[in-house]
Amino acid sequence: MSDSVSWPDSPEGGEIGDGKFARATHRPESVEDLCRIVAEASAAGLAVYPRGGGTARDYGGVPRRPGVLVDVRSLDRVIDYPHADMTITVQAGILMSTLKGILAEHNQRLLVDAPEADRATLGGVFATNTSGPRRFGAGRPRDQIIGVEFVTADGKVVKGGGRVVKNVAGYDFPKLLTGSMGTLGILTQLTLKVRPAPETSAVVWAVTPSIVRILKALDGLNLSESRPMAIEFLNASAARMIGEPLGLPASAKDLVLAIGIEDNRESVRWQIERLKDELKEFDVSVREGDASGPVWSGLTEFQAYRPGSTTITANLPPSKVGDIVGDLDPDRWAVQAHAGNGIVRAHLLADSDLESVAKEVDALRAEAVGRGGNLTVTRCQTEWKSRLKVWGEPRPDWRIAEGIRDTLDPRGVLNPGRFVGTI
Amino acid sequence: MNATVPQTNPISISRIVSDLIAAVGEENVLANREEMLVYECDGYVIEKNIPDVVVFPTSTEQLVAVVKLCNKHNVPFVPRGAGTSLAGGTLAVGGGIMICLTRMKRILEINLRDRYAIVEPGVVNVWLTRALSGTGFHYAPDPSSQSACTIGGNVATNSGGPHTLKYGVTVNHVRGVELVLPDGSITMIGGITEDNPGYDLPGLVVGNEGTFGIASKVIVNLTRDPEAGRTFLGVFDTVEAATETVSGIIGAGIVPAALEMLDNLMIRAVEQAFNFGFPTEAGAVLIIEVDGVEAGLDREAEAITKIVQERGGTVQRSIGWRTRKEPEYVAIWKSRKSAFGAIGRLSPTFCTQDGVVPRTKLPHILRFITEVGQRHGIRIANVFHAGDGNIHPILMFDERDPEQVKRVLQASHEILDECINQGGSVTGEHGIGVEKMEFMPKLFTENDLAAMVAIRNVFNPLGRCSPSKLLPMGSACIERKSPGHRASA
Ligand SMILES: Cc1cc2nc3c(=O)[nH]c(=O)nc-3n(C[C@H](O)[C@H](O)[C@H](O)COP(=O)(O)OP(=O)(O)OC[C@H]3O[C@@H](n4cnc5c(N)ncnc54)[C@H](O)[C@@H]3O)c2cc1C
Repeated sequence: MSDSVSWPDSPEGGEIGDGKFARATHRPESVEDLCRIVAEASAAGLAVYPRGGGTARDYGGVPRRPGVLVDVRSLDRVIDYPHADMTITVQAGILMSTLKGILAEHNQRLLVDAPEADRATLGGVFATNTSGPRRFGAGRPRDQIIGVEFVTADGKVVKGGGRVVKNVAGYDFPKLLTGSMGTLGILTQLTLKVRPAPETSAVVWAVTPSIVRILKALDGLNLSESRPMAIEFLNASAARMIGEPLGLPASAKDLVLAIGIEDNRESVRWQIERLKDELKEFDVSVREGDASGPVWSGLTEFQAYRPGSTTITANLPPSKVGDIVGDLDPDRWAVQAHAGNGIVRAHLLADSDLESVAKEVDALRAEAVGRGGNLTVTRCQTEWKSRLKVWGEPRPDWRIAEGIRDTLDPRGVLNPGRFVGTI
Repeated sequence: MNATVPQTNPISISRIVSDLIAAVGEENVLANREEMLVYECDGYVIEKNIPDVVVFPTSTEQLVAVVKLCNKHNVPFVPRGAGTSLAGGTLAVGGGIMICLTRMKRILEINLRDRYAIVEPGVVNVWLTRALSGTGFHYAPDPSSQSACTIGGNVATNSGGPHTLKYGVTVNHVRGVELVLPDGSITMIGGITEDNPGYDLPGLVVGNEGTFGIASKVIVNLTRDPEAGRTFLGVFDTVEAATETVSGIIGAGIVPAALEMLDNLMIRAVEQAFNFGFPTEAGAVLIIEVDGVEAGLDREAEAITKIVQERGGTVQRSIGWRTRKEPEYVAIWKSRKSAFGAIGRLSPTFCTQDGVVPRTKLPHILRFITEVGQRHGIRIANVFHAGDGNIHPILMFDERDPEQVKRVLQASHEILDECINQGGSVTGEHGIGVEKMEFMPKLFTENDLAAMVAIRNVFNPLGRCSPSKLLPMGSACIERKSPGHRASA
């Protein structure tokens, strides 16, 4: 049946991404609405492409089957916010910036750094497993979620977890759905752990021309007397993109370590002194209190910059971060590493041809895989996706991932083509 | 699919035993009823059943061979670690082969720079802590049973512990699991790096209670030790004041490293056993711990002291520490973590419940527990992870008296139902096991449960591994014998 449905050739029904147009865009006002839309589309042999703010519209493989877009942004209610319990239950379509404001009223926050917070929705951030600098100290999105509700490919509501911070009843659907790229269900509601906002924070910005010094410092920071919230490593291009607008020292030949700390004032003061001492071979500047906010933002927004056509993300054991960053030409790539977590993000700076980029990606990927990690292409032009293999070579557990998708969505209704393997 | 769990019969058993002996050696197989008696139950003593054979593989290769033999002979099997489950997770429902992982007990790798360790499933939780001593790192999940329970068992049940309030439970510290699937194939789930393309399968696999297969290796996170800490003993006249203090601390935006409560019955039992110096007259005590960098701790200490005093309590001890080896620190935690053991002095048998409520509902649920105990004439002691809202009422009874057993079950059910009414859960860390399957339909809809069954079937399509656990659908061929005992029909 699905073969008879064709891709529309005008954008009237909405843009799915990767140059594909939707047959229609629906904006459900309720979960029941959403269930009906999904059930009807699915019965008509159409695929369903969920969308929040569209900030990750071109992320992943190329959409495989014609279908409809579902804009979830009207599902944006706060269901329950018992702030004294430090949890919140909220619908998935809420904007990250709105959620931030609601939590700030009680001096609390969600420990997930997501760029483009005034466009990105909570559901989109969790579906794509987005994180930023604070994941070193605070963990991943999956570490903040305790309950989930989603709509499956046949239009049914399923939930998992609950509303209390500790709960082992049933399988952990909140984690299964986090990072599932909308392929197992459309997120409608999340229950999250929230934390008190820190009294103050600081970023220690340490500059050096020497990669050797950086590597030594990263080894040292692993055992630092301070307890950093973030350990960021920037190559010269990234340091200039983030630092220059803020008046932080950055030059064409320098590398930067940006160490974030958050706690009460006494603790932060003491940690700054410790870090200055531990990094005394560096040229150190400190942004403290309110002045640190823009630096945190810069470090968070960097991943959404689009200086060129391609962006890659490597996951490595933290000790191997230096190898990969060292391999990337700073005139060609702007590189940020969440060094404490072994995550390297690199934006191509200029336009380039497929073969040169492919050569670099292949070599870096081989290196990442050889060190027990992986490399994904988080953004590139549609025509390059199959050559660059967005998600890399199959991993041993993809067979199980495919089994799970096949059992929850046997006809491949949700976001077909976007994710790993045949998903 | 689970409705037809294959049963064993005496003739097939002797064949299986000889095959198992050929695979793992005679010294690693038990088939004599007397020797298997300790395997009839775990920490949940209300239901019992002796497995047909107990086998102890010593390597992944042997484990795979054993699982393949279970397939060949068409018998169910159940993994077991140290058997400290409090939910009957290891019960050999309907018999079959029990696969005990305690002889796969090597720490394979410790990598401080990349902050992970790779261990075999039979490694006892505290062994890893000991191996890390002095390195500046530790393995964060610290269940009270940590000197006995295995990391494989922790992964299966997603264990918590006193310090998981701040640091997160087992699932927050597991990066990868090598899983021997129920058909005997091996798959590496996740890996050394945290983010891997594909679903968060480590997140799904942790807490599966043995229903997905058998963990043969685990890759865990290592956590940096705090630079310093303070541990306080808050003393209160009433349970009410102590629980109000818990709500007060969390509500004030303080995230302690640990926040544990003991009530009077518990204080007296622990004091008799360990002589730490707990005030035996107190209605309740709180063990409150904060950690971080020393420079910042004074302010937190002052804030906590103030909250304790405002609720009518006093801070009677304050232990400042730089490492977790300070003798007074060790002593207070030893007392807390051995609390269940101390109960043995009060009652021959007890049943530990494991409910969760939102933390602000603690005063209510503790009042409710007292009332239930009085109504059913059952002594109940409380020692629990208060900061998480994770209650552990301990119901004391004499298991020889079926009438008491019935009342204990009834009281437990009322407490757990009330946790659900308050927006909580029936298990924070011990698992569903066989004990709580009947609560699943109260927490989840038919759709939710159907999705869980579907996921289980991806890993365990024949239901041969850990049959009749966790999901109520699987229990079709099982019926309860009065009172509370369960056997295959
Ligand atoms: C005194 C006492 C205090 C306790 N305190 C705590 C506490 O603070 N926090 C807490 O969370 N729990 C606590 N528990 C419960 C218990 O210790 C934990 O559930 C623990 O994780 C079980 O580990 P185990 O090795 O004993 O596993 P077992 O009891 O042997 O097994 C538990 C479950 O895991 C499965 N399993 C075991 N090994 C594997 C494997 N390798 N692969 C797949 N499945 C496997 C079993 O089939 C079973 O379902 C306590 C128990 C006692 C008796």
